[in-house]
Amino acid sequence: MNTLRRMLVEEFRLHTELFGRSRFLLFPLFVTAVAAGGIWLLELTGSSPATIVAGIFGLVFFFGLQVGTLGLVGRDAMRDVLGDVTLLVFSARTLPVSRRYLLGVFILKDILYYAVFFLTPIVVGFLPLVIGGEFALSQIPLLWLTVAATFALGAGTSLAAAGVGTRSRLALLAAVTAVVAGTVLEPELAIAVTPYALYGEPTPATAVLNALVLVSVLVAGPLLFEPTTNDSRRRTDADRYRQLRRLGDSYTTRTLLEVSRSSGSVWKVAFSLGILFAVGALLLDRLAVATALDPSAGVAFGTLLGLGTFTTYNWVTQVDSPREHLRFPADFGELYRGKLRAFLVLAMPVGTGYLGVASLWYPPGELLLGLVVFPLVSLYVFGLTAFLTGLSPNELLFDTPRFAVYGAGLAALGVPLLVAALAYGTAPRQSAGIAVGLSAVAAIVGVVLVSRTGNRWQTRLRGD
Amino acid sequence: MPAVETSDLGKEYGDVVALEGLDLTVERGELYGLLGPNGSGKTTTIEILTGQRTPTSGAATVLGIDPVADPVDVRREIGILPEREDPPSFLTPREYLEFVGEIRDIGAIDERIDRWAGKLDFRGILDTLSADLSEGERQRVMLAQVFIHEPELAFIDEPLVNLDPLMQAEVKDQLVAYCEAGNTLFLSTHFVEVAEQLCTEIGIIADGELVAERDPQHLEEGLLATFEESVGGAEEPVEVSGQ
Repeated sequence: MNTLRRMLVEEFRLHTELFGRSRFLLFPLFVTAVAAGGIWLLELTGSSPATIVAGIFGLVFFFGLQVGTLGLVGRDAMRDVLGDVTLLVFSARTLPVSRRYLLGVFILKDILYYAVFFLTPIVVGFLPLVIGGEFALSQIPLLWLTVAATFALGAGTSLAAAGVGTRSRLALLAAVTAVVAGTVLEPELAIAVTPYALYGEPTPATAVLNALVLVSVLVAGPLLFEPTTNDSRRRTDADRYRQLRRLGDSYTTRTLLEVSRSSGSVWKVAFSLGILFAVGALLLDRLAVATALDPSAGVAFGTLLGLGTFTTYNWVTQVDSPREHLRFPADFGELYRGKLRAFLVLAMPVGTGYLGVASLWYPPGELLLGLVVFPLVSLYVFGLTAFLTGLSPNELLFDTPRFAVYGAGLAALGVPLLVAALAYGTAPRQSAGIAVGLSAVAAIVGVVLVSRTGNRWQTRLRGD
Repeated sequence: MPAVETSDLGKEYGDVVALEGLDLTVERGELYGLLGPNGSGKTTTIEILTGQRTPTSGAATVLGIDPVADPVDVRREIGILPEREDPPSFLTPREYLEFVGEIRDIGAIDERIDRWAGKLDFRGILDTLSADLSEGERQRVMLAQVFIHEPELAFIDEPLVNLDPLMQAEVKDQLVAYCEAGNTLFLSTHFVEVAEQLCTEIGIIADGELVAERDPQHLEEGLLATFEESVGGAEEPVEVSGQ
């Protein structure tokens, strides 16, 4: 308990140090406001509370997976992300506690921390529906409990995957394949072991089953995880820089090497976008069941995958030290153009591949729109993320004002595109035109933002 | 024209004054040491002179170029080694130096890499990922990137940190030889011993102000006394932590 308490204090101090106390403490209020507004709007546009709840569970699970994915990149990249910061979780070498114990407490700390600062505000966002009589107040505690458990399941799942991956990449591939195949072939069974099932059917049997699955997943990560620092081998490699350099500029080449050689290699790009793709597929499926709408799978997937490329931006900047680049006689504009090329090289094949996967159960012709929308939205996301966060996208979360601007920027494009996707059944031609037109305009905005990013961040760093 | 010249240079971070009224002249061919405890303004000075930070007040020229107005031009002409900076974790030293060579647009990079890897004794680890190198090996790679384009002027923050005694002696010789060839070196250190052994001129900085300048070859006693005074009277001022 003492370690947990100290880790919670450490996390709080880290965030208040990074973003300032008041900016950070505003964050839960901001999430509550956004959640309440979004839920109210969705209800106003005809979505049932049950569909909204399903969407929240999907998003929270995605968020949990994303937070846990940090484990995938290993201790070395974690240190790169956090700079000079040394966390208690790394103290197993100097203190008489096991690494597994520290990792277990670290996960527990993350679950509690995010439950307070992120998940509780989301659940409080249901209050407008409670006031309007659309949602029972008595459901709120169960919703909070199961949403928190869903986050824990997501974080635990990706950490367990990371743990398996540190032992055997083949075993990880087999485990991921088995889970994906199980989810596709028996979706009802897959949902039955998640807290979403407990929310729908709060019986002792479901609770016991859920608890067993959750505890197993949470224990698996720390038990299996083997940090790379235990490996005393020195990794050597041929001159890949020169080989890759023929295909691009210096910054692109360096970024591609860094992504491919860091833990998780290029697969982490596919993993992050795959999570979003799966959540998108689930939501589209639920939507088709719950409503009479016939949404455009192409526009919906293109938009969701495009918005999801913020994770790719995270990967292409994960080991960058912004000040390092200030030492070179090169303009920051070159750096960001190189990052953009690396981003496109990594994200485009993956997104296109997922659209190809979607063609297994959606008409391929319908997905062609996705092939147009996805790269255009991705360009916008790159431009917006680079402009607002520079080379430190991880610092975005919990910096309330910047997060609000970023969220508004994504929503400004994402919401109309998703509305266009939903309206496709009734006005296909107009919806397609609007989706392509909006994405094209957004892509231009993205390119303009990229062109201004270098100067903006160079000036900021020099003035700090 | 001096290699480095500053006039009333100042830098504030909010309410904190990091540098105040710095007037400094470093002649060409000099091995200049900026000596001071942690937090005295050494790193800020180097960052301003290398175009990495903009000063709040004052002016500076480096090789006749204004680092505030033309930071990229300054960086093209000089070599820089900040304190506690490692080569990129997921590049090998060979790849990193190739990357540096391209950014600096210099030719014959293979020959240069081989020469500097030989001088600093890291040929054996040229194809090892930097993440797997020891701290001393990383420091040697970082020293190589300072000199690989053979700049007229180099700025080095704590040059000998993490090096074993043998390599420290080797690097000291390299730095002296570099200056004897007519180049200029601007060192920042909080080790009095390092400054005394290497430098031809020493500036003592404390609380953001230059409190004294000395020739260490002739004024060792005076230097130590001034330094002790500037940092509050350390009894054994071989290394000064500033605490």
